[in-house]
Amino acid sequence: MSTIAEPAPRSQARRRMRVDGWRWGGRIFLVFMLLYTALPMIWMLLTSIKSGFAAMQFPPQWWPDEPTLASYQKLLDPQNSVGQDFLRFFWNSLFVSTATTILSVIVAVPAAYAFSRFTFPGRNFLFFAVLLRNMFPAVIFLVPLFILMRAIGLVNTHGSLVLTYLTFGLPLAIWLLKGFYDNIPIQLEQAARIDGATRFQAFILIVMPLSAPGIIATAIYSFIGAWNEYIYAYTFLSKNDQLTLPVGIQRFFSENTTDFPGLMAASFMMSVPVVVLFLVLQRYFVRALTEGAVKH
Amino acid sequence: MLRKIWEHRADYAYVLPAIAVMLIVIAYPIYYTVELSFFNTPPGLQLRDKNFIGIDNYTAILTSEVFWKVTWNTLIWTLGSTFISFVLGFATALALHRDFIGRGVLRAILIIPWVISAVAASYIWKWIYHSDFGIIGAVLVQLGLADRPPNFIDSVSTVLPSLIVVNIWREFPFAMIMMMAGLQTVPDQLLRAAKVDGANAWQRFWHVTFPHLRNVSTVTILLLAVANFNSFIIPWIMTGGGPSNASHIWITHIYELAFGRQRWGVASAYSVLLFLILMSLGYFYVRALSGNERKDGSA
Repeated sequence: MSTIAEPAPRSQARRRMRVDGWRWGGRIFLVFMLLYTALPMIWMLLTSIKSGFAAMQFPPQWWPDEPTLASYQKLLDPQNSVGQDFLRFFWNSLFVSTATTILSVIVAVPAAYAFSRFTFPGRNFLFFAVLLRNMFPAVIFLVPLFILMRAIGLVNTHGSLVLTYLTFGLPLAIWLLKGFYDNIPIQLEQAARIDGATRFQAFILIVMPLSAPGIIATAIYSFIGAWNEYIYAYTFLSKNDQLTLPVGIQRFFSENTTDFPGLMAASFMMSVPVVVLFLVLQRYFVRALTEGAVKH
Repeated sequence: MLRKIWEHRADYAYVLPAIAVMLIVIAYPIYYTVELSFFNTPPGLQLRDKNFIGIDNYTAILTSEVFWKVTWNTLIWTLGSTFISFVLGFATALALHRDFIGRGVLRAILIIPWVISAVAASYIWKWIYHSDFGIIGAVLVQLGLADRPPNFIDSVSTVLPSLIVVNIWREFPFAMIMMMAGLQTVPDQLLRAAKVDGANAWQRFWHVTFPHLRNVSTVTILLLAVANFNSFIIPWIMTGGGPSNASHIWITHIYELAFGRQRWGVASAYSVLLFLILMSLGYFYVRALSGNERKDGSA
């Protein structure tokens, strides 16, 4: 008894010290990561409430001497030409992203369900083809797609973007949703089938409601992906009134690159919708991403 | 085989819309890119006037100096971004694994850079790096570490590392999310058993936690590597590949060749090469994924 009890206090003390060392290291590291993440965003906000003159000073005003919302007012004022453009870009982005999201869900749901449940010949091949697509960069598809879009008369329309985003969002959407379907017990459908439901009815009445969190997550993904997309919009659209936000902002700030407060205000407002969406629905968002890679 | 396909004909109805869309928008462009890579395309969009030149585009690429420069940049960019993002993300996930007050808020803040648009991120950092009024330069001068603000993205030697910092800023949250989810699958009993047996924190991590996360880590690293290899927005908006190609990576270079200089044939040949590289990466990706499934026994 005493021989076992004797060394315990010393080793315990040592262990606690060691654990504390790790914990403190972890805390310091987290503070560092927090600064790395947050400082650029804080600087964006601080710059956006300066006047153009105040932003261009050396050494900089760490805190704006005379905070002003002028940049925001300018961007949101429908009377002003800058405001007109910005609001139109904003609307275009909203339209393209929403349309993409709705279509993605409609197409991805049945496909993901099939990949999760059925064992038809070529299933694995198709599934990996879907995943492989995810690996290829937009640039490879740009030239031929541009020509294709021209052939079917979609250049300079939002339709070209919706069709493209839909395709390139699908692999991820299918992958995410498949993870959710894999986790819904097949017995539930079997029970419904025994009660006389067809396979399609079982899918619509039993599986669809259960997979609502997955559908929400997929929708957020499609939306954020479409909202932030740049390269196709940059290539396919040339008319000023068609541009989406990322391209639009680039166009009108490359004309006067000195308006950094305006640029920062625009960057901030471009980020607001996706950040809000993410913060409100982050539970689904995080879960969906990891469902496919980490199975429970 | 045919009978089996016929028996399952109803199953295909579910995947048909997805496959149809992808055939139009993916298969055709791939075919077209391969074809175009064997042609010389005079400037201008009149692609009908192209003429067949065999593999000349490929030999032109492989013998050009820019190609090797850009390839080297791409390697540094991809490996540097992937490795550091993964390590930072993994470490953050470990540090966030234990519950404490404000953990949820902290996690949400850390993920934000990954959610916002890369265009916004590029502009924010471009302003931070600004050679006259950038905040980093100002801090360095104020602290007496530099006489004048350094040129982060206008100088050949610092441009690529500076851009990698931006890329990591946007990317480490992804690794963090993946690894946090992975950490939840490590059985607590095992960790406790190891603790009872006297393993210290590092030993528990190295011998219990880490082996459990091997699959998640592989998938995360591969996804990061592919995303980095394919990245475009950050270098394109921040520097456009300059100064003197110092921050050109494959994708920005291809884009410039095609849409800037209208050399579609050469750009297509580049794309085909890129394709082959990605296919080999894809092989490992699929293997890692199917390894996951086999272990799980579910698919």
